[in-house]
Amino acid sequence: MKAVDSLQPYRDRIDLLQGTLDLLVLQALTWGPQHGYGITHAIRATSRAALQVDTGSLYPALHRLEREGSVASDWETSENNQRVKIYRLTAAGRRKLAAERSQWKRLLEAMALVLDASKAPATETNGP
Amino acid sequence: MRSPFFRRRRRDRDLDDEIAAHLAMAAADRVARGEKPEEAAAGARRELGNELLVREATRAQWGRGSLERFLQDLRYGLRLLRRSPGFAAVAVGTLALGIGANTAILSVVDAILLRPLPYRDAGSLVAILMHGTGPVTPGNFLDWGARSRSFESMGAADLWSANLTGGDNPEKVAALRMTPEIFPMLGVRPSLGRFFLAAEAVAGRDRVVVLGDGIWRRRFGSDPAILGRAIALNGEPYTVVGVMPPGFVFAPFWATQSEMWAPLDLAGRANNREGQSLRVFARLRDGVTLAAARQEIAAITASLEREFPGTNRDVRVVTLLERVVGNVRPALLVLLAAVGLVLLIACVNVANMLLARSSVRRREVALRAALGASRGRTLRQLLTESVVLACAGGALGAALGAWGLKALLAIAPPETPRLTDVRLDPRVLLATLALSLATGIVFGLAPAFHASRLALREALAEGGAAGAGREGGRLRRVFVAAEVALALVLLVGAGLMLRSFAALRRFDPGFDPRGVVTLEVSVAGTRQAAPGRRAVLYREILDRFAALPDVAAAGAINHVPLAGDIWGWPYAIEGRPPSRPGEAPRAIYRAVLPGYFATMRLPILRGRAVETADTDGAPGVVVINDHMARRRWPGAEAVGKRISLGDRTWLTVVGVVKDAVQGSWGGELDDEIYLSFLQTRQLMESTEPSSAYISYVVRVPAGRDPAGIVPALRTAVRSIDPTLPVSAVHTMEDIVAGANGRSRFQMLLLGVFAAAAALLAAVGIYGVMSYAVSRQAREIGLRMALGASARGVLWRVVRQGLSVALAGAAAGLVAALVLTRLMASVLYGVTTTDPATYAGVAALLVAIAVLASYVPARRAARIDPATALRSE
Repeated sequence: MKAVDSLQPYRDRIDLLQGTLDLLVLQALTWGPQHGYGITHAIRATSRAALQVDTGSLYPALHRLEREGSVASDWETSENNQRVKIYRLTAAGRRKLAAERSQWKRLLEAMALVLDASKAPATETNGP
Repeated sequence: MRSPFFRRRRRDRDLDDEIAAHLAMAAADRVARGEKPEEAAAGARRELGNELLVREATRAQWGRGSLERFLQDLRYGLRLLRRSPGFAAVAVGTLALGIGANTAILSVVDAILLRPLPYRDAGSLVAILMHGTGPVTPGNFLDWGARSRSFESMGAADLWSANLTGGDNPEKVAALRMTPEIFPMLGVRPSLGRFFLAAEAVAGRDRVVVLGDGIWRRRFGSDPAILGRAIALNGEPYTVVGVMPPGFVFAPFWATQSEMWAPLDLAGRANNREGQSLRVFARLRDGVTLAAARQEIAAITASLEREFPGTNRDVRVVTLLERVVGNVRPALLVLLAAVGLVLLIACVNVANMLLARSSVRRREVALRAALGASRGRTLRQLLTESVVLACAGGALGAALGAWGLKALLAIAPPETPRLTDVRLDPRVLLATLALSLATGIVFGLAPAFHASRLALREALAEGGAAGAGREGGRLRRVFVAAEVALALVLLVGAGLMLRSFAALRRFDPGFDPRGVVTLEVSVAGTRQAAPGRRAVLYREILDRFAALPDVAAAGAINHVPLAGDIWGWPYAIEGRPPSRPGEAPRAIYRAVLPGYFATMRLPILRGRAVETADTDGAPGVVVINDHMARRRWPGAEAVGKRISLGDRTWLTVVGVVKDAVQGSWGGELDDEIYLSFLQTRQLMESTEPSSAYISYVVRVPAGRDPAGIVPALRTAVRSIDPTLPVSAVHTMEDIVAGANGRSRFQMLLLGVFAAAAALLAAVGIYGVMSYAVSRQAREIGLRMALGASARGVLWRVVRQGLSVALAGAAAGLVAALVLTRLMASVLYGVTTTDPATYAGVAALLVAIAVLASYVPARRAARIDPATALRSE
């Protein structure tokens, strides 16, 4: 479910591909420990508002990553006395990020090859 | 480690805080961008989306352990049960009743029948008996010991009652004399001191005694310095050499109250092949089977019979446990079978209720399937519910069982062997829990499986009740028939017990026990034991008693019927050919002081009673019972005939007295002779404690409490000689109640179980039948709308119920015919095939079934057909 904010229409927004949210969240946490709202903010800011993380997906993703041990969390108290949950990257999270990153790169390269090719290569198999 | 439940609650709280913080920060940003605070908060919330869904999706990431799933099922199950408290209460109560009864009776059966006796390697201990169950002659005991090879050791015990004298309170103590082999054979250590030695079982050195824990505490203040001290027993000094640990009981099947043990010297009785008084115990040699030992004893018996004709018949070797519990086993097995049936009925009831519910819940189950619940998940949910039911029933049942056991022990006849060993065993509790779980699984699974299969096959399309599940209907009919059959078996058993009990109640003991008190005065070890003194003393006590203001009549006898010993004595009839050895007729031997028959209200049918003039020196007289008169002098007058007790003096039959109960309530009658106490040399002269005592019977005026006279009687005895122990003080009614005890106890228990089972079965049958009929309301409405008469519709429904009930009753009758054979030995005055009982019980159950289908059918027939048709 996506919130459409009438005040800030993100017309150029890109729908996130399956599996990319984890990558983005992990990457955002390499810049330092952050709370959930901070993570959406950081992703939106660095993508120049092209990537809008849906809170309906963010929190399930954070809790899933926490359960598998890629992130850990601490509780802090904000200036207006609110409990805030701060996520940080763990060593396992760094390894996962590295792995997903290289996978993402391979995907990008493969996509580029396909999208940039002018014609289909000769087929090797005889189709049915 | 925190429970998953609390962990989950904390996580929920954390998630709330996390989302609240998110909203607060988003709103703060918006305010910073210039929005008004209220708009900012609303916008932040809008941006978050559906908060519930976010929360739910996040929660879903936490995963569910199987324990959490179980807890969820459990919560759901409990919620459902709370929503139908009637169903839950009946189901849990039903199971609790079945499980509670089983816990209590299983505890008793385990402690009495199954647990080994508290001796070392008790399985290889045996008892050797003569004449089936009787005691053994010294000659035989010594010969068996000398000739057999099957036994590691063999010992004998003899009854001994010892007057503990020399203090302020002379007391008659139950005791045994036994050969020195017995203590080591049992493998039990004394808690103080030692056992007596082989060298001490010799005349002159046998004044040593081992004390029981009870008497050591009661009479000697648990004094550890008692060892080596001399105590006065029957007026002679005995040195205490040992004290047994608490809880030690010997012998286990007779003389169980014994509290002192002294050596038995048989040297002077080695050739006695007539007097059966010894109980023989032996331990099988390693590797020797009971069968081998029996074979050897049979061979020895055969050769002894050739050497000493008539002295060796029906010698048996039985395990000690068998001898101890053999005669209560049938009763306990009957009770066990009864509670088993109660449990079965309870289970069938609960299964029925679950089945009925599963039909009602088909829509829910179908919905679950439609929403993607796997079949296994649905099955597990339904199973969890029945396990919840079973566990609640099990817990309540364990409590009920503990309470029931306490009640059971309070009313159990005190002569029941090993009663003091009975307690709620943890193993029994565990077995009960397993039983309740198995009940839940087995009887929950059938309906659960049924329901989930229906759900998948027919799903929502069928729309609920109208079809009512043909298979469910068949299963229900089988359940009802089974319930009728089970209840019938139990009720037939209870009915037979009831009729036995009624027959026992009608049984005439011959005498009138009301208003009579009895007490025993023992002269052993006192100065009154001297020959010649007893005749004076016994009559003086009797005269004192008779002169008391509140005494209506007084008399005395050697052994009070039902309470006292039974001595059998061979006799010969004048003018008849002498019997072959061992085949002489035997009569129960009693001796009375004048006044006995009047006090007991035992009418003299012909002739006269024993009178004051029948003293030593006067012609010997005997009063015989009616049974003996008819049997030995059929068609002739017994009065005036003469009999001999083997001592070549003739006793004239002077009277015939009404038959009186002898050893056991409702037992077979034997010949019985009443001699004049004052003419009975053995009772008047022997200083053996087993002969040197007398039992007085005293009747108070009508309407008085006989127990109230006891202090006056004690004072009267003390005023004559304060050293005389007075013991065995009972009202005759207590003695009769005690003799009735076992059958009354069994009757009461079986009656309670049968009533419970009948109630359960009635509830079950009624519930299921009326449920099934109410499901047919639409069909009934349809038939009536099409013009069927109310009577025709009613008959149709009742006929269905009747056919199921009759099928169940037929099966039950067959089962009852077979199963009640188990009861034959506990019944009295009624056969196991008593037609009245069978017919009555079957009619009762069929009536319940018919009523259970008639009442709801009539209700259905009264409903307006249109309403009925819409009732779905």
